[in-house]
Amino acid sequence: MGVVVKKVDLTWLDRTYLWPVAKGLFITLKHFLRQILTTTKKRQTVQYPEMKRPVSDGYRGLHELKRHEDNSIKCVACFMCAEACPARCITIDAEEFGDLNTLQGIAEKRPVLFQIDMLRCIFCGMCQEACPKDAIWLRKNYELSCKSRDEMQLGKFDLMNTYAEEDGSERVVPESMFKTSNNQLS
Amino acid sequence: MFLAFALITLGGAFALLIQRNAVQAGLCMMLSFFGMAGLFLLLANPVAAALQIIVYSGAITILFLFVVMLLQSHREEPSAHPRYIQKILSAALVIILALGAIKLVQSSKTLADIQAASPASDLITLEKLGERLFTDHLVALEAIGLLLLSAMIAAVVLIKKEA
Amino acid sequence: MSDFFTSLGVYIPIIWMLVKILAVFVGVMSLSAVLTWAERKGAALIQDRIGPNRAKIIGNIRLFGIFHLMGDGFKLIFKEDLVPLHVTRGLFWIAPLLAFVPAMMGFAIVPFGQSFEWHGHVLHMSVIDPGNGMGMLYPMAIASLAVYGILTASWASNNKWSMLSGMRGTANMISYEISFSLAVIAIFLQMGAYDPHEIIAAQSSMWNVVRQPLGFLLFFVCAFAETNRLPFDFAEGESEIVAGFLTEFSGMKLGFLWLSEYVHMVTVSALMVTLYFGGWQIPFVANPGPLLSFIAFALKLLFFCWMFIWVRWTLPRFRYDQLMFIGWKILLPIGFANLLFYAWLINKGVV
Repeated sequence: MGVVVKKVDLTWLDRTYLWPVAKGLFITLKHFLRQILTTTKKRQTVQYPEMKRPVSDGYRGLHELKRHEDNSIKCVACFMCAEACPARCITIDAEEFGDLNTLQGIAEKRPVLFQIDMLRCIFCGMCQEACPKDAIWLRKNYELSCKSRDEMQLGKFDLMNTYAEEDGSERVVPESMFKTSNNQLS
Repeated sequence: MFLAFALITLGGAFALLIQRNAVQAGLCMMLSFFGMAGLFLLLANPVAAALQIIVYSGAITILFLFVVMLLQSHREEPSAHPRYIQKILSAALVIILALGAIKLVQSSKTLADIQAASPASDLITLEKLGERLFTDHLVALEAIGLLLLSAMIAAVVLIKKEA
Repeated sequence: MSDFFTSLGVYIPIIWMLVKILAVFVGVMSLSAVLTWAERKGAALIQDRIGPNRAKIIGNIRLFGIFHLMGDGFKLIFKEDLVPLHVTRGLFWIAPLLAFVPAMMGFAIVPFGQSFEWHGHVLHMSVIDPGNGMGMLYPMAIASLAVYGILTASWASNNKWSMLSGMRGTANMISYEISFSLAVIAIFLQMGAYDPHEIIAAQSSMWNVVRQPLGFLLFFVCAFAETNRLPFDFAEGESEIVAGFLTEFSGMKLGFLWLSEYVHMVTVSALMVTLYFGGWQIPFVANPGPLLSFIAFALKLLFFCWMFIWVRWTLPRFRYDQLMFIGWKILLPIGFANLLFYAWLINKGVV
């Protein structure tokens, strides 16, 4: 079945071609003036590095390993996330530590190595769902670029610090951990 | 100046002759016409110079090139036989004809008239050209107009498909 | 100081000539370079975008992205100049110049300000002084040479798209050149002069655009075809033939071909201003003097350059058969009718 195309009957004014062109020129001029008179903030275009669009609530960005109030890691190295990960990008090495105090957390197990291969991660959020301790969150940061592949292997302290600046919390560094606990196991 | 333009003209013409490539030959022709326009300028005839460029370089050569490009025949095939005798004969003929032409021009009465007249009187403007065309050469102009018109009609008739 | 200038004496015209040549060359070059920026920015604003604005120098000076211009220039100069193996070498090298030089030369005749007297010498604000007998024939002659740039570039590229573009561009330009010339001839008729200085002087009471609106329209349309700008950019036609005659070019050769389009735009705008908008004249001002007249000319010129950009981002390209139809069956008869009408008026003594 063919489609019957209705032919548009042009008026003599349209046939001159000049009048429609003039109309078109005014339309573009209108757009031009409108765009030139709107401020950068009101424009549709987002000036990216300076301005960012708010991401949706369900957005899953870069991970953060949550900490307790004393900056000790919440993770108890239960391997649930590593098991749940469909991309198999989480590597965990657990360690046991006996000196239970509030500074070191309240569990007796913690990761000595917690590495996420960001080149493999698919940001599915399974790790977050699997975590019994609510210790790993996928948050809103999506600017994950770096200059070498090695930099994309985020370790335990990297992951704990991913949102330190944004939250205004202290950066956790390995040295400070050593300072606060001299008697931790290997 | 004369030497420069003359060299451009002759160089362009010579390059046009020895060029095996039709499009490049066309460009050489353009160069030659350009040099000729320069010569017209030196003869205090800017109108002729401008018309030379507009008509010959701007339209005729372009049309040649256009047709050549349409036909896609870019390269002339080298001839199968060297044909020495023809070459020598044609060169001799050219030399004889050229010498004859020079002789003819030098012995002509117009040249003497021109030499007698004051050199480079004043610019030939478009007004003067128009005046001359429509008074002294009116018949010729009309005849040429008719000729062109008939040529155009003939071209249309030739091209027109049988209905 | 004035003694010094008078002692220069006969050298003043020569010095002034050098100054003019330099000023026109630098002026047109930089104006056309700025136009590349204006085109990008204007296109963006017309399409509700923002356009180039990230290039910055000295800390954080951006100035609406005008430094993209320098970035473009540096990029084109330092980019690898690739010459494909299948091109015709010599012509491939000459082509950008063949496109660029005629575009540049055309501006030489245009008076960009009122002539003035200085230390006993009448100095004209156009590279070629009036009374040369060539007048407006000169830019027409030069404009007819502009085809060679495209033709040579497309042929030398030895590439079927380039070839097609060359054919289309050539056909386009030579078809519209006729109507272009007819419009100009109508001006010659009415002015009784063909020197740009005289044409401008004759427009002191009324601009030619009022006297010959149809002629202006004709000239205006053909100007787009002559500069190969949309809606007549058949030589480029990105959507159909890659980039047309530009396809094989890279580096500064591309830069020259590209820039020549903008230089052409400036030149044709200047002609338009001279022929139809009173050149450097300011309405209701009898003798504006060199500086004011130059400013008036520059403003008009900029307006028409902007017009080119504006139209480009408004209209789509014609189809090829439409192009030929408009060129030969509409514009050409209009051109002849216009010419004959004014000839008749002059014969009747109305004008």
